[in-house]
Amino acid sequence: MNAPLLTLNSLRRTFGEFVALDDITLTLPRGRIGLLGPNGAGKSTLLKILLGLIAPTAGSGMLLDQPLGEDRVELRRLIGFMPEAEALVPGLTGVEYVSLAGELCGLPRRQAQRRAHEVLGYLQLEEARYRRVEEYSLGMKQRVKLAQALVHDPQVLLLDEPTSGLDPAGRDAMLRLVNELGTMHGKSIILSTHLLADVQAVCEHAVILAGGRVRGHGPVSELCKIRDDRYRLRIDGNVDGCRTALETRGVTFLPAGHTGDWRVSVPAAWNNCDFFKIAKNHESVIRSLVRDDETLEEYFLRSVNDE
Amino acid sequence: MNEVSDSLLRYRSWRGTLQSPVWGSWAMARLSVAQMARRKLFWGLYALALMIFFFFFYGQYLVVWIQLQTAQQTVLFGGVPVKVGELTKFLDRLNLNGSAQTFANFIWFQGYIVMIVLALAGAVLVGNDFQYGSLPYYLGKPIARRHYILGKFLGVGLFVNILTTLPALILFVQAGLLYDWEVYYVDHLRQLIGIFGYGLFLTTALSLLLVASAVLVRRTVPLIMLWSGVFVLCRTLANLLVDGARLDGAWRLIDLWNNLYLAGLWCLGADLGDMKREQPEVWQAIAVIASVCLLCLVYLRKRVQAVEVIS
Repeated sequence: MNAPLLTLNSLRRTFGEFVALDDITLTLPRGRIGLLGPNGAGKSTLLKILLGLIAPTAGSGMLLDQPLGEDRVELRRLIGFMPEAEALVPGLTGVEYVSLAGELCGLPRRQAQRRAHEVLGYLQLEEARYRRVEEYSLGMKQRVKLAQALVHDPQVLLLDEPTSGLDPAGRDAMLRLVNELGTMHGKSIILSTHLLADVQAVCEHAVILAGGRVRGHGPVSELCKIRDDRYRLRIDGNVDGCRTALETRGVTFLPAGHTGDWRVSVPAAWNNCDFFKIAKNHESVIRSLVRDDETLEEYFLRSVNDE
Repeated sequence: MNEVSDSLLRYRSWRGTLQSPVWGSWAMARLSVAQMARRKLFWGLYALALMIFFFFFYGQYLVVWIQLQTAQQTVLFGGVPVKVGELTKFLDRLNLNGSAQTFANFIWFQGYIVMIVLALAGAVLVGNDFQYGSLPYYLGKPIARRHYILGKFLGVGLFVNILTTLPALILFVQAGLLYDWEVYYVDHLRQLIGIFGYGLFLTTALSLLLVASAVLVRRTVPLIMLWSGVFVLCRTLANLLVDGARLDGAWRLIDLWNNLYLAGLWCLGADLGDMKREQPEVWQAIAVIASVCLLCLVYLRKRVQAVEVIS
């Protein structure tokens, strides 16, 4: 049970001359993992390898107790995959769609049907289960896609952009469901997304990929750590004058948070008393000065741009 | 809060033994047939197929009844006394006598209905998987790509056999019961094997061709045009070349439906020398069918292999 969810040893995947994944060495514990990266980072290639659709060119890896490789049916039995594409079968009702997924995963027919009803009930699609899937709203389509991933009760859920195209309420509901599956039902979740807020809301760990390499990984709480060089600042008075003075002293202004406070990054050997001195010199008053944590987005951008 | 707690109660983990992926192919096939049965448009065609079956079913019965009961009786036809047996001679042309030709004719006629339905249903069964991106749903599951192709193949095959092989078998059983069944079933064992053989040829060729052409063109109208090209245009062209331009009978090989018919007649053990039109050799017809099937398989393998499960 304490075995890691995923172990990758010098994993490399090339397509001809193109290196999609390069020397990926990673050990991830069970839990909720966010997979982040810009387009072309290698996320899709890594997902394909995890799904056992393609083999690594070099290196090795294990997902739970299964080695990674090509055409690994046994590997896919451990995984419930929710694709980003619509992936619906027109003409089938919700319960048929999920039941077929169960049978494709190897469940006997009757058990697949029973599980389909259970899972659709759990995902609050009970009322709509006899409607054709193409008639579902976008939110329902995402949920039925999650249901088909969940039907065989996999140990690992691989979710590819699960909140794609959802309105804020639908997105919150989906993230809540994903969170519940991880926390209350012990599912390990690998969430591949462009939306950093989704990872921050759901995941315990994050892996940042860029250019086929791991740029950073670790617990989300640590990645979004409080930093000594970041502050949130609120000033009353000659605001413009203060800002100019601070910039002259090497203080960088970061995009403001939703509270309207300034977010600043100070240079090395900065003394916080300087904030007050500058404010005083410009007939201003500092109303608030607190240390600021780095958001996952900032960490992500820093990690990606560092190379 | 209550709602959340209540919904969580319904989720239960599942522990059991998972079956072989082949069962997944079977599930796909079953749902394919169910989808065919749901289309109201197709029920007119099924009714037509049923009428053809009833024509043969009651035709066989009528012929035997006439032969046994009234063949020697004389009736007045337009004031002229005629033997009933003479009046019903036109039925001989239909071979409603439980012979190899009976089953070959029956499957030939049913085949038209099957072709029309398949042309209409190809997009539903296969094309949609590519058109609407359903393929990642299948291929993200613990089945190999060959299981996906097998599932689609089985689905179409089941449908073809429900309309052709199964009713032909019923006609075979009926013929045995109309004649001396102990003698008939023994003497016509070749026909029984032939019905399965013809069914196998039809299933393999039509299923692979349908799956491949639906993957190629995806939508219903282009699919109908493609099938019309293969089964109507090529047939007309073959007739023009062989019957009109008096070219060699081998030119009829471009008519796939005729090739299937020849292969079926060979399976049923019918006398091919009786055929009025010039025909290619049976082995040539079978070679063409095999080549078409092989081409379809190679194309399907490439096409399904190229599908991106994760985009």
